[in-house]
Amino acid sequence: MQITVHFHSYFRDLTGCAQTTETVPAGSTVGELQERLIDRFPKLGAMRNSTLIAVDLDYQGRSHELMDGDEVSFFPPVQGG
Amino acid sequence: MKRQLTITTEPIDEGALLSKRKMSDSMGAAVYFLGVVRGTENNESIRAIEYEAFHRMAEHQFDLLFDQMEKRWPIESARLIHRVGVVRVNEPSLWVEVVAPHRGEAFEACQWLIDEMKRAVPIWKKPLSC
Repeated sequence: MQITVHFHSYFRDLTGCAQTTETVPAGSTVGELQERLIDRFPKLGAMRNSTLIAVDLDYQGRSHELMDGDEVSFFPPVQGG
Repeated sequence: MKRQLTITTEPIDEGALLSKRKMSDSMGAAVYFLGVVRGTENNESIRAIEYEAFHRMAEHQFDLLFDQMEKRWPIESARLIHRVGVVRVNEPSLWVEVVAPHRGEAFEACQWLIDEMKRAVPIWKKPLSC
């Protein structure tokens, strides 16, 4: 499955990019995608537990199963106001 | 519940916003909140904060919050303006208006909306040093 990944806020600095694609096996979860991304971009590892993850426009937990073509966003805790 | 959400790089014009307030005869409370950029962040002087939003998701998450507000309180209208881009010290970054029949629910809903925004809406800030 091909997944499009977006990085927001300072996650762009940690990864050096705003967007990338990742190919994952069918049935992969959000958590498994996160681990692949940490392998590719080790600086994300320090933020492993505080990273917020959205599939399309909704937050999802690590156990959420991905679908081919999903757009997944990774970002740090939000700070509006 | 009427709702208005604006995420903008334009300065917040409080006068213009107040002049557009609409309340029906059965409404008795309009609560306002203005969030203003402080001159210090983590004990260091700053000149501004740069706000960034994931716009489509921020709008979607605000919509979900407005849906919940509508279920919890008898709110007639809510308006929220959040600035993005560079906002200088002493300038407002956030303006909220909640109109309800009574002050209790207006205060409570306004506080809840801001608390939930800080938890769920993908907006980030970066302090800019002096």
